Amino acid sequence: MYSELKSQNFEIISVAQDTGGVKDAGQWIEAAKPEYTVLIDTQHLVTRLYDMVNVPTAVWINEQGRIVRPNEVAYVDNRFKPLHRLEAEEYLAALRDWVAKGEKSTFALSESELKQRLAPQNPDWALAAAEFGLAEYLYRQGQSAASIKHYKEAQRLNPENWNYKRQAWALTDAEREYGTNFTKEVQKLNGKPYYAPRRLPDKK
Amino acid sequence: MKNWMYALLRGLCLVCSVQAVETKRAVVIYEDKASEVQAYTSLSTKPDDLWITLADLKRATGFVNKPQGVCRAELCFPLPKKRRTEFLQTQSKTTWFNLTEFARLLKQPVARDDERAAWYFGPRPEVQNSFTKSLAAPNFTLPDMNGKQHSLRQFRGKKVLLLTWASW
Repeated sequence: MYSELKSQNFEIISVAQDTGGVKDAGQWIEAAKPEYTVLIDTQHLVTRLYDMVNVPTAVWINEQGRIVRPNEVAYVDNRFKPLHRLEAEEYLAALRDWVAKGEKSTFALSESELKQRLAPQNPDWALAAAEFGLAEYLYRQGQSAASIKHYKEAQRLNPENWNYKRQAWALTDAEREYGTNFTKEVQKLNGKPYYAPRRLPDKK
Repeated sequence: MKNWMYALLRGLCLVCSVQAVETKRAVVIYEDKASEVQAYTSLSTKPDDLWITLADLKRATGFVNKPQGVCRAELCFPLPKKRRTEFLQTQSKTTWFNLTEFARLLKQPVARDDERAAWYFGPRPEVQNSFTKSLAAPNFTLPDMNGKQHSLRQFRGKKVLLLTWASW
């Protein structure tokens, strides 16, 4: 997709939300050998700045650095389709349309639509981000056991955030420390998707 | 030292020039920067408060106490006049600043770990939420696999798909 669109003044910035950094994310990058920019975000900074709750999440940004579509689930291939049942092609078609037509694309949101979708952060979520930040600090200091209490508090304060859960579970024996794991939590949802649904308009 | 002994000694020693102050080492993580500070926790009625010296305040947060308020570059937050002692107290020539009360004033989220005396201060809501009004994509600078830094800002003039993922 990138090789097709890059000649049209378009860039992909792919950011790994990985506390383990290159150690964890590196093998995926080496296997994919992407032409586009791949960055390593060990402190989950992009998640915090954009108030994201899951991966993969995408934001469309125009030539002036303005948001055109805010946070939404963005599968750009069908590797995990059995799990999330989202067709990548619909998303890619929307992206191609925007790259070609810019603000005139049906998928580029107007300012008033954007302002409706972008709400100020819930104070509990702000506190959750602080607890997660403290947990990450303690973990980096080698205080893995001490970090768990704060990961749990972040998860409690912002139960919608899957990054807080999945990153914390991945750093330890999730069953032992958290009494759960990703598969179990997805099963609990009983078919309900574990991300906010996409809101793409019908094609014109 | 037991608290009552300390209180007794302080009572007896009103004119002492040097007064023992019970402090401990703490870590402040402010805007993602971690600094070791000297903490004085028994100064206020709120036992969870974190008091630090003005030197540590400047080193850890960049803020400086000025007559017009607590300031950093063009940013200045006046302290409520009637509540001044909730923010500033002087003990044996050292002025202590209540960083947690300041965070409450600024509505900053705070997380703390008592055992490790670590305090994390998150962004002020107006900083966190500014993009929801301006619609400007928040800038960040992060390294690629080879350690080279890239900023979102450098991509100005192009359409960008910002996409997060993770190995977990």
